Amino acid sequence: MSTLPKAAPATSRWDRAIDWVDDRVNLSELFSFLTHFGLIYTPIDTKRPLRDVLHQVRTTPLESYARWPHILGLLTALLFGLEAVSGILLAFYYQPTTLSAYDSTRSIVRDVMLGWLVHHVHMWGSYLLCGVVLVRMLRLFWDGLYKAPREILWFSAVGLAWLVIQLDFTGLLLPWDVKSYWAAQRGLEIVWSLPIVGPLFSTLVGGRTMSEDVLNRFYVLHIIVLPLMYLGFVYLTFATMRRVGLSRIAGAVPKLTTFRRHVSDLIVITLLLFAGLVTLATLMPYQFHGAADPYQTPKGTLPPWYMLAPYALFQLPIPRWIPGLGLLAVALALPFLPAIVKGAGERLDEKRLRMAGLGVFGLWLVLSVLGALVDRK
Amino acid sequence: MAGSEGRTEQPQGGESGPGRRQFLRTLSGAFLGIWALGGAGALAAYMRAPEEDHSSTDRIVRIGKLDELRIGEARLVRHGVSPFFVIRTGSESVIALSAVCTHVRCILDYDHERRGLVCPCHDGRFDLNGNVVSGPPPRALPTYEVSTRAGEVFVRV
Repeated sequence: MSTLPKAAPATSRWDRAIDWVDDRVNLSELFSFLTHFGLIYTPIDTKRPLRDVLHQVRTTPLESYARWPHILGLLTALLFGLEAVSGILLAFYYQPTTLSAYDSTRSIVRDVMLGWLVHHVHMWGSYLLCGVVLVRMLRLFWDGLYKAPREILWFSAVGLAWLVIQLDFTGLLLPWDVKSYWAAQRGLEIVWSLPIVGPLFSTLVGGRTMSEDVLNRFYVLHIIVLPLMYLGFVYLTFATMRRVGLSRIAGAVPKLTTFRRHVSDLIVITLLLFAGLVTLATLMPYQFHGAADPYQTPKGTLPPWYMLAPYALFQLPIPRWIPGLGLLAVALALPFLPAIVKGAGERLDEKRLRMAGLGVFGLWLVLSVLGALVDRK
Repeated sequence: MAGSEGRTEQPQGGESGPGRRQFLRTLSGAFLGIWALGGAGALAAYMRAPEEDHSSTDRIVRIGKLDELRIGEARLVRHGVSPFFVIRTGSESVIALSAVCTHVRCILDYDHERRGLVCPCHDGRFDLNGNVVSGPPPRALPTYEVSTRAGEVFVRV
């Protein structure tokens, strides 16, 4: 114990205040919770006083393996934080009823001071988050980072991707804008086509067709249920990361870093991200198209982009459940990729697997483009 | 460690000990299982949204006076989640058919010249009997029963 660095004796009022609380509540234990989210990577002895722990964390140099590709994982957590804050701010004004959803969203953007910024940052954040989880999955796949002992990491990456898509889908409907309404209606048709789970999901969201129930349940899913699940997967990601370590980038020499440096990097990245979002929100704001009329379908509406591929297959003269089954099979197979790859003791050729993955991705892109073209303009 | 000693002695104490313990374990497992099933059932029942159209008073929709509908005119009735067209085809004949395309549930438009319904999304076309004429719709449109009483038109949905 004596070899561990100790903080200087309390001199300022602030230090004495910390010590006072620390004698009554185990602050080190509370602080160690932060390690679960990857903020601190020094192991913490929760039996020691908080000021000693902080001193140790601040001064111990550590080898750092973090390089630019790792930022994708950080962004899935950081962007979620930004979405949570802006989402809570939006919820102060938004009203999830068919009569006032559109008007309340309009009023946030038009009348509330800086409401446009909050709304557009939330929207652009969701676009970026979709992109980030997709690119992250591609990177993990390409670099083979789903193999033992990283199976849980891959599993939660797939879970995060599915949750982001569901968050985007439920959030899309909320403005009750004519475009978003019909896009969500198309999406519900695709959900319905999934064998077995389709009707289950439809019951969960309040029906196959759009109604007051569906709007309200989308809202509850969007602001409570899905974010909580997302947090669970973020926790799982960091927890397994602390056990198995960051992936090593080939050829990168580890460098020494400190917690101070780590936090300042984090702050710089957060500020850059926020600045980028504000820029995008200012230059490319959300376009309103008028309140949705459930009894009039406008021309040229599309389902959300991640549903374009099954939507293209919908145009074929085959029963709906066939593309639905394909979609479901891909959805179920993705998290179990590590098990498939290891197979019965025999590893698939990595190069061939990469090509197969690339092929599936290419097919998905082609189908998405076709899906975007089938609607009458 | 009195507790651990007690635990090791117990099986020796009574001959029916392990059997009884197994029985109680199964029983409590079954009990908790029934609770879980009941809970899941109750949750599912709660999550099933009440359909707007299922109350008996809504089954028959009053459309209006027959005289107000011109021959060849189609009226879109904004009825809950299942809107429908009421079309007067002759002096006494009125038909009612769903306005929701069977393809991806777009709301159909009435095509005056071709006397049919046309989808604004993928150009699916239906005739006035609800049959698919062309395009991607997989099924015919549902038609509804129309009755005229004292000059007023009613549709059974």
